[in-house]
Amino acid sequence: MKKMNGRILTLVAFIAAVGFLTAITIAGTVFADEAMVVDFSRKNLAPCGQYIFGTDWMGRDMFVRTLTGLSMSIKIGLLAAGVSSIIAFILGTLAATMGKTVDSIITWIIDLVMGIPHILLLILISYAFGKGFKGVVIGVALTHWTSLARLIRGEVLQLKEATYIKVAEKLGKSKFEIAWKHMVPHLLPQFLVGLILMFPHAILHEASITFLGFGLSPEQPAIGIILSESMTYLTMGKWWLAVFPGLLLVFTVVLFDVAGESLRKLLDPASAHV
Amino acid sequence: MKKRVLRVILALVMTVSLITGCGAKEEPTAETEESTAIEESAEPAEAKDSVIIAMGKGSEPASGFDPAYGWGAGEHVHEPLIQSTLTVTTKDLEIDYDLATDVQVSEDGMIWTVKIRDDVKFTDGEALTAEDVAFTYNTVKATSSVNDFTMLKEAVAVDDTTVEFHMEKEYSIWPYTMAIVGIVPEHAYGPAYGSNPIGSGRYIMKQWDKGQQVIFEANPDYYGEAPKMKKVTVLFMDEDAAFAAILAGQVDLAYTAASYSEQTIEGYELLSFASVDNRGFNLPAVPQTTDASGNVIGNDFTSDVLVRRAINIGIDREQLIENVMYGYGSAAYSVCDGMPWYNEAAEVSYDPEAAAALLEEAGWVMGTDGIREKDGVKAAFTLMYPASDSVRQAMAADTANQLKLLGIEVSTEGVGWDVAYTRALYEPLMWGWGAHTPMELYNMYHTVDGGSAVYSPYVNETVDKYMDEALAADTLEESYELWKKAQWDGETGVTQDGDIPWIWLANIDHLYWSRENLNVAEQKLHPHGHGWSVVNNVDQWTWD
Repeated sequence: MKKMNGRILTLVAFIAAVGFLTAITIAGTVFADEAMVVDFSRKNLAPCGQYIFGTDWMGRDMFVRTLTGLSMSIKIGLLAAGVSSIIAFILGTLAATMGKTVDSIITWIIDLVMGIPHILLLILISYAFGKGFKGVVIGVALTHWTSLARLIRGEVLQLKEATYIKVAEKLGKSKFEIAWKHMVPHLLPQFLVGLILMFPHAILHEASITFLGFGLSPEQPAIGIILSESMTYLTMGKWWLAVFPGLLLVFTVVLFDVAGESLRKLLDPASAHV
Repeated sequence: MKKRVLRVILALVMTVSLITGCGAKEEPTAETEESTAIEESAEPAEAKDSVIIAMGKGSEPASGFDPAYGWGAGEHVHEPLIQSTLTVTTKDLEIDYDLATDVQVSEDGMIWTVKIRDDVKFTDGEALTAEDVAFTYNTVKATSSVNDFTMLKEAVAVDDTTVEFHMEKEYSIWPYTMAIVGIVPEHAYGPAYGSNPIGSGRYIMKQWDKGQQVIFEANPDYYGEAPKMKKVTVLFMDEDAAFAAILAGQVDLAYTAASYSEQTIEGYELLSFASVDNRGFNLPAVPQTTDASGNVIGNDFTSDVLVRRAINIGIDREQLIENVMYGYGSAAYSVCDGMPWYNEAAEVSYDPEAAAALLEEAGWVMGTDGIREKDGVKAAFTLMYPASDSVRQAMAADTANQLKLLGIEVSTEGVGWDVAYTRALYEPLMWGWGAHTPMELYNMYHTVDGGSAVYSPYVNETVDKYMDEALAADTLEESYELWKKAQWDGETGVTQDGDIPWIWLANIDHLYWSRENLNVAEQKLHPHGHGWSVVNNVDQWTWD
C-alpha cells in the first residue's frame, strides 16, 4: 500500500476530531430534555442493551446524561475559550504596541492572574457571579487568557522588528494598516491553535469546579456533577456511573488536543519537523 | 505520527485501568468479610464495654462541646452526654427529670422555679449548684447564636438548690428547652470550654482529634445509673468512607443512607429508626409583591388555597418513599407527626381525581401540552432543594414527576443556603425539620412582628392566637391541646381543609449498620439531624 501523505493524514485526523466533537455537541443538545428525565422505575441499572451506560439512583439514563454533559462542557469551553482568547489577543497586542508603561501594566496583570492558582480564582469568580452557567463561563474566561496573551505579546514584539514591517513603516503605511494587513495574518495561526488548545483546559476546569460544587446546580447534566455523584456509589460497586462518563471526558479532551495539534501542523508545517 | 497515536492509546489504557481499579472495590468483599469475622470473634472477649461509632462529618460540633455554641441545644437537638440537663424527654417525648427534682411555674407563667439535686458533682470534683445553672442559662441567652432564648429574661439562683427563671413572656414549653441545655461549671467556663468540656453527665470527653474522632469515657462518679458502655469512640467520616469502614469491620455502628440499604454485609444488620426528621416544602401563601426593601415575597400560583390543597392530596407519599428512600420512611402530614402535640386531622389520603377537580374549580384548565393554564399563565413553579442533599434532590424530582401528572410543571433547582432562605419567600424549597419541641410549629406558622411567618409567607390570626395561648398555658397537657387546635380547630388551621401553607411529605428513617451482637436499647423518635441522637442512650447499650 502506498504510504499516505502525512499532511493528508493530519487533515483527516483534524476533520475526524472536529466532526466527532460536533457530533457530541449536537447529540447532547438534541437529548437535553431527555437527560433531565427522572424515572424511579429504572433506577440503578447496570449497563445493558437499552441503557448502554446504565442508570443512576434517580433512574436517569447515563448515556444521554453524559452526552448532554459533554456537550454542555464543550459549549462552555467554546464560549469561555473564545472570550478568553479575545482578551488575550487584545491585551497581548496592546502590551506589545502601546509603549513601555502599558506593557508593564499588562505584564503585571498577567503575572498577577498567573500567580493565583487557577482553580482558586475560578471558584472565587464563579461564586461571585452567582455560580451556574454564567458563573462558570465568566470564571473560565477570566482565568485562561494569560498564557496566550503572553505568547501574542512576544510574537508582536518580534514582528515589530521584522524587516517587512520596518519597510512598511518607511513606506508610510498607517499603524492600523500595518497591524491589520501585515501582523494579523501572521498572528492568526498562533491564535487559532492557542484557542483550540485552550478548550481542553477550559473543559477540565469546568468539570473540576462543578465537581467541587461551585459550578452548575446538581440537577444539571454536567460532567463534573456526574463524576462527583458517582464517587458515593463506587463503594457500592456501581462502577459504570464513573467509568463511562470519565472515559468520554478523557476522550473529548484528547480529541481537542489532536485537533489543535493537527491544526498547528497544517498552518505551520515547519513545526511538524521539530 | 505513529508514536503519537501510540501515546494516546497508552494514555487511554492507563486511565481505564486506573478507573476500573477503583470501581472494582466490591470484589474483595469475601476477603474483608473473613477479616471481619476474625475481628468479631476477637472483640467481644476483650472489649465488651466499648463501642466505635461512625457519624457524618457534619455531626462534629464546629465550636466544640459547649452548649452555648450549639452542642445539644443547636440546630440538631440531642442529649449532651457530657453535661447534665435539668429535664429529659422520655421515650414518648414527655418530660422527666434529670438534675431537677421539682419544677413549678407561677400563676402568671412568668417565673419557673426549679429545685435541683444536691448530690451532683462536676468531674473536677466541684459541686454543681443552682449558681452554675443560673450561670449556664444566662450565658446561653447572651451568646447562643443557634437557638432562641429570647423568651428568658434571666436566671437567678435563690439558694444552692433552687433556681428561678424569670421569663420575658409566657412559655409553657420551657421544660423542653431545659431538656437540651447542658449545665456548665461557672468556675471552669471560658473561651476554651468547647475543647475541654467539664460536666456532670454520664460521660467525660477524654480526647478530641479535630476532624477525626472524639473519645468519651464513662464518668465514674455519675449520680445516676452507671453507664454500661465504658468507652465510646465517635469517628467522623463521609457516607462512603463509613460504608467502607463497615466493610472492613473497623466500626461497630455507622450511619448510612437508604441508597446503601440494598447491600448485605455479613456480621452486620441494618437498623432503621423512626424519626420526626421530616421533609416537606413550603408554598408561599400570598400573591407576589415586592416589599419596602425590594425583596420579592409571595407567589401568584401557590397563593391560591385550592392549588395548595390539590398539591397536598395530589402527591402519593408512599410511592415517593418507595422511590427515593427505598421504603425507609413514613408518610408525613405535619411537622410534628407522632408527637404529643400532633393533630391527626392533618392526615390526608392520596386522591389524584379530587386534586384535579380542585384545580379545575380554581380555574386552572388543562392546556394542549399537558400543563394547566389560567388566563394565559402556566401552572408552574420552581422547587428548590439544598444542592448538597441528594435525598432532597430526589424528593424534589419525584414531586415534580408526580405533579406533572396533575398538569403542574415543576422544575427543580439545587441552591446553596446563602440564597435559599430569601428565595423561599417566593419559591417553594424542600426543607428538613423535626425537633422534640412544639416550637417547630411556632417557627413554621406563627407571624413575626406583625408581618408574616419567617420561612414562608403566611398569616392566619386564629392560628397565631392558639399558639400564643399554648405558650401561655398553665400545664403542658393544656398546651398540647392548644397546639393541636392551632393545626386544626374544626374551622381553620394549617391542614388540608385549612390553609395548608406547607406540604409535608415524609419522615426519614435514620439508618445505621450495626454489628449483629450490639444492642442499642430502645431509641426515642429521632429528631432532625442524622447523628448524635442515636447515642442519646449509649450508656444503656450492651453487647450480647
